[in-house]
Amino acid sequence: MDESTKQLLQRLVRRIPAQMLRATLDKWGRLTAEQRTCMDFTQPKWTLTEKLLDIFEENGWTMKHLTELEMTYIIDNPNQGMWYALQLMDPEDDAHTVELTQLKEQFKSHLSELVRPVSVKIKKHTDEAIWIRIAWGDNFSRPNHLKPTYVVHHLQTPYVFVMSLTSKQKPLLYQALVLSTRYQAIKDANLSGRKLTAIRDVLMRQYQQVFATRYSSPLAEINLPDSNPNIEREEAEIAANRLQMACEAFGDGTLPQLQTAVYKLETKFRDNTNKTMTEHEAPFRCLVKFASTNLLESFRHCACSGIASTPVTPLLSSILLKGRNHFVITDNGPGLASQTQQSQN
Amino acid sequence: MISSVRTPTNSDVVQRRSKSKSYRLSYRSGLGAASRLCPTPALTARRLNTSRKAPKSHNITEKVSPEHLGLLVKTEWQLSYVTPLYRFRHTQLKSYSRQLSAFIAAEKQQGLAIEVERPQSSFRVSFSVVQGMVGADDDAESVLMQIHSRPLFARQDEPQQLVWKGWLTCVNGNPEYLRSLPKDFTCLPLLGSSGPEALTTVVKLWFQQTFDCCFGHLEISHTSLQWLVALWTNCHTECGIQHLKMNWTLPVAPPLQVTYTVDPQDAWVLWSSVRKDKLEVEDEEDNVDIDEVVRFIRGLKSHFYRHFQLDLSAGCLTQVSTALGSAKHSGRIKISNSRYMITTLMLLTECALLKMPI
Repeated sequence: MDESTKQLLQRLVRRIPAQMLRATLDKWGRLTAEQRTCMDFTQPKWTLTEKLLDIFEENGWTMKHLTELEMTYIIDNPNQGMWYALQLMDPEDDAHTVELTQLKEQFKSHLSELVRPVSVKIKKHTDEAIWIRIAWGDNFSRPNHLKPTYVVHHLQTPYVFVMSLTSKQKPLLYQALVLSTRYQAIKDANLSGRKLTAIRDVLMRQYQQVFATRYSSPLAEINLPDSNPNIEREEAEIAANRLQMACEAFGDGTLPQLQTAVYKLETKFRDNTNKTMTEHEAPFRCLVKFASTNLLESFRHCACSGIASTPVTPLLSSILLKGRNHFVITDNGPGLASQTQQSQN
Repeated sequence: MISSVRTPTNSDVVQRRSKSKSYRLSYRSGLGAASRLCPTPALTARRLNTSRKAPKSHNITEKVSPEHLGLLVKTEWQLSYVTPLYRFRHTQLKSYSRQLSAFIAAEKQQGLAIEVERPQSSFRVSFSVVQGMVGADDDAESVLMQIHSRPLFARQDEPQQLVWKGWLTCVNGNPEYLRSLPKDFTCLPLLGSSGPEALTTVVKLWFQQTFDCCFGHLEISHTSLQWLVALWTNCHTECGIQHLKMNWTLPVAPPLQVTYTVDPQDAWVLWSSVRKDKLEVEDEEDNVDIDEVVRFIRGLKSHFYRHFQLDLSAGCLTQVSTALGSAKHSGRIKISNSRYMITTLMLLTECALLKMPI
């Protein structure tokens, strides 16, 4: 058993929370019943690490087995870093026929043609998702298993999600993905977040969809108190209207948990009270970043409470509609990375 | 307003403390008294200045030694206000250093069952005057405090490390107020500290007992942060600010953080468009008015609103930063460029004087 395997095992055990250690090892399924009973999970982690090292040694297990364990853990706990969404474009005619074995073979061979040495491990998860773990090496070094890239692809969809990919590795991965999935191109989908399921739900529309008709009569359910019926009625109407608008933009169910949205604004400064700036031709450049533990929830609350005017601006609602959280906004048509055009008046 | 301090053993001190109730003077009470004599209502006098000099690049390196500047810039300081110090003498700094070292050692040993076997105190305090860090003649010279200590398990021959630093300053304090103080009081209303909270507490305690003053947390108000946005932007032509970054927190559930970063050149263009048309006459004092600050912030907010239909006024400006420095609502400030330090400290001195209890 070499040094790097040892190091990865130590690191992995340290990373897995103590209460999840047993479940993860069980799920991995390599330990015999006897070995499992030997493991005393009340002991400190370093003793368990020693124990596991011994078991690895006894069975002659290598990095291959260890990466399986790591994948088992990551698949169950994917929210360990920033996930970025990619979108495959222009499918070949046979793109929809690609299945696991074929993808596995193709991806491995394409990637190892591009970069060598590289260590790829592919695993199919229950929900149709294919998980790929890549440990990158280069001409002078062996694959670095301590900093692997994780890729998740759902077959028959154009979406790919990646975690910890450097800019140097990006073109290599892109090419291998395009070739093995039978598409012609791939692009950054401008969507990122810490929760893999959330960004997947946003892209695959797996959240409570919004149907305008559902909110056709918001006033019907409101009981008006007697005290001052006209005022109350008017206020209730306004509040109900805001709520309706908020729900039309973001729905009324649970929202996918996104953490940030970034807008790069390069639009003209318009303000009736400021003649100089309105006449100024050049765009006003700024960057606006919204952050929250549940961004869409925060936006919906902004609209309900009146902090945001209704109807909700397309800039905010297009996070869900367009499935992205990174925008470049310009006055004249789509900008470099943007498809969001502002209608201004 | 007397803070709870352990009963001093020295009877002299007890006597002095009892007298101090009437001595303890603050800006607001002073101005309140003044307002009885003149028609200005006290309320207006208690507000922040509505107009201040535009920051000019001070070649501060000529006045303040580079060694001191090095200690002051690029550190994030926690601010507090300090009421005037009774019988503080700039000539006694050596003795204060000794007293505070002993005090810290004594505080540290409290509650220890076994005598600590350290022949000399493990804390070395040094007080020094920061020459030149003032705005006007009435200001008392600033004082810099440094505490060096040896790590707990270090060998005897290892050099001591700087573990805490702090300064007391007064830059352009209200001259009316400063002159109204009885002669035994020194006004250094602004404390910046950086280091472990426990040491800050001990230092404050020593000051309270020695100079009969009191301390309080100094937050940087929404208005002061807006002032900094404008004053810093105003420096852009002389010294690039790199970016103008503002953080807002909106009170929704869950809380929404908005970071609004403006290109420095565009921020400056907007700033110049809201400046009042200055007379062509070369004015010797370039003043910035609160109206201009308000118009600038309103412009920034309206541009934001036009895109997102979100009203930033509903939230709270919590942080401002440029290449010149950063300031947080919680009362933390970092000065990255010493050339405009005086302007920033002037504003903060004013905040500290206002925050003092009556």
